[in-house]
Amino acid sequence: MDDYKFLFKVVLVGNAGVGKTCLVRRFTQGLFPPGQGATIGVDFMIKTVEVEGEKVKLQIWDTAGQERFRSITQSYYRSAHALILVYDISCQPTFDCLPDWLREIEEYASSKVLRILVGNKIDRDDREIPTHVGEDFAARHNMYFLETSAKEADNVEKLFMQIAEDLMEQARSKDLPRYDTSTANIDSRTSTIGDSSCCGKLI
Amino acid sequence: MDYELPTEFDIIIVGTGIVESIVSAAASRIGKTVLHIDSQDYYGGFWASFNLEQIDKLCERNQNANVDISADVQLNEGERLIQIGNNNFDLKNTSQKWSIPEKLELKDVSENVEGDNCDVTETEADNGTGTEEVWTQEKLMRESRKFNIDIAPKIQFARGDFVELLISSNIARYSEYRSVSRVLTWLNGELEVVPCSRSDVFSNPKVSVIEKRMLMKLLGACMDSEENEFKDYKIKTFHTYLNDKRLTDNVIHYVLYAIAMSTVDTPCSEGVENIKRFLNSLGRFGKTPFLYSMYGSGELSQAFCRLSAVFGGVYALNQNLGGFVFDAENKFKGLVCGKQQVIKASHLVMGIEKSPEEFVKSVEVSYISRGIFITNGSVKGSEKEHLTLLFYPLKGGRELCNVIELGTLTGTCPKGIYIVHMFTKQINTPKEDLEECVSKLFQSEKEDSDVKDARPQVLWSFYYSAPDTNTANLRKDVPENAFLCPGPDCDLDIDYSIKKAKEIFNSMYPDVEFLPRAPDPEEIIIGDGSDEQIPKK
Repeated sequence: MDDYKFLFKVVLVGNAGVGKTCLVRRFTQGLFPPGQGATIGVDFMIKTVEVEGEKVKLQIWDTAGQERFRSITQSYYRSAHALILVYDISCQPTFDCLPDWLREIEEYASSKVLRILVGNKIDRDDREIPTHVGEDFAARHNMYFLETSAKEADNVEKLFMQIAEDLMEQARSKDLPRYDTSTANIDSRTSTIGDSSCCGKLI
Repeated sequence: MDYELPTEFDIIIVGTGIVESIVSAAASRIGKTVLHIDSQDYYGGFWASFNLEQIDKLCERNQNANVDISADVQLNEGERLIQIGNNNFDLKNTSQKWSIPEKLELKDVSENVEGDNCDVTETEADNGTGTEEVWTQEKLMRESRKFNIDIAPKIQFARGDFVELLISSNIARYSEYRSVSRVLTWLNGELEVVPCSRSDVFSNPKVSVIEKRMLMKLLGACMDSEENEFKDYKIKTFHTYLNDKRLTDNVIHYVLYAIAMSTVDTPCSEGVENIKRFLNSLGRFGKTPFLYSMYGSGELSQAFCRLSAVFGGVYALNQNLGGFVFDAENKFKGLVCGKQQVIKASHLVMGIEKSPEEFVKSVEVSYISRGIFITNGSVKGSEKEHLTLLFYPLKGGRELCNVIELGTLTGTCPKGIYIVHMFTKQINTPKEDLEECVSKLFQSEKEDSDVKDARPQVLWSFYYSAPDTNTANLRKDVPENAFLCPGPDCDLDIDYSIKKAKEIFNSMYPDVEFLPRAPDPEEIIIGDGSDEQIPKK
């Protein structure tokens, strides 16, 4: 039923309130939910995009609020293909926490994961982090860098399309994180439980 | 990050072991407000997986750091503050040993790039070819983060309660599983592959044609379990039943120790139930009835925590917990977080190690003898990497030792390395209990240069006694609105823990569905341009 060639898992991290959920919603639903609290019951969002004529399905995972007290589960990072680290350009502390986030990423994510640094909320006029500071940080840590506004839809589409394109290129050059040997399919020896096609073979 | 915890919840859950995490997910799922908190900075408590550095430290420090900060809170009349945590359930008899040098000796250093050029070594290790690698402590430590070493390793039945729960609740998407690729047993002084499926039975060269028929007939009888078949064995052992069937020793061995996971003392009905469970789980995922969670058993509790968080559960690890507040009627009132904040809730659920001493003073503990080994090869080498489960009958078949061998494909160790977990009911000390099995599977430590020993070498070992609190009555001295969660048991799977979690949940919320299916993201997603539809489930 699903018509796509690649499936990529993209996860977002960063302090609470930097706009992670807004970025995801803006991209997947074209919505900007103002002043919403933590999202209940929403786990990850899916959007299929087209890159060079191929359908690419992005599965975008949000933190479910576990970042508030630095309690994100390690399993959240497992098998991610891309990792978006978000800070708020109008809030210095969210930028100051980036090294802590990087440490966690190093610890649990695959070393080959595509990493993107995003400064969000550029619609705000009380900027605290100049663009070049974010750029420098990203360059030092070998990450892509982009500034966005989920509210004004600035660069949001670009961010995710860039990720889709890069992952696709990686997939073609077989340089994806190791859990994907062939395309984006799960290794034949791994069984994803819940896949209905695997259930009920034997009564 | 300065966030304040809310001041009131429906439930406070202290500790992130499996039982606590399942209760947390189930409560959040039905809309209860849950604070899930842990004094440790990692998930899992007694169920966690650690990297090599962490487990190295674990051996030294006290497992359950007893929290005794003095809280400074205003108590109402009749209320009292009780200290969180006890030392009754610590790991015991811990002994860790490296059997390889810390660094390469001088003569070898020249080949190695000096300094902290980690990347180079990492690629070397990754390209590891057939040539035997020389491992040092330093080299393994550099790969520390590639290790996920379980302190309570678990294997799931493909059709066991755990897997069914994962599917029915839609929690399966938070973790990945790999099927166990072979089941072994120790028979006539050798490791033998246990024929699991019909095709295995027929392709196994060690099983004669007559034995094949015997085996199929016997398994069929157990599956049908007609009353007549077992009526004379109500108080007899399964071993007696097998003997009476006039089977060959080989068939008895395969059935008793591997397929039925039993010993010579196991009652007949239990053996038959075990066989059914084994056979029912066949053919669902992979070639054996068993699954192992990728990146270690520590991921299991995290999957439930994620679901809890998705449904609004508040997560806070690494917290200073000042104590529990109980009122004059001995009812739980609140948790002191930090020095001053009192967080109220109508129920308290806690891991048994987080319990105040007074609630657990009469809890009886038995122990599990556990051993973890890092080795440089598989116990039964083959061209393809296997995830192996081995049932090793100890003491002439009176006890069974479970052995799980994990390779790099499970995401629990670097390439070229295997992790072997062994556990059995404790009788003497872990070392003594496991000695028989260890001596058969691995090279002996005393070097015998005359004979080339093909068995794997143990690079590092860790023995410990792990408490098992699953048979104790955990309601006895515990206030009515507080619940204790037992730690890991000696079973292969976690089905018993699910049962315990469900009991706790039902005591708090009778007649409410336990972990109903969570909606799929696909059900929430909007198509291109169409309106958002969140199913009202």
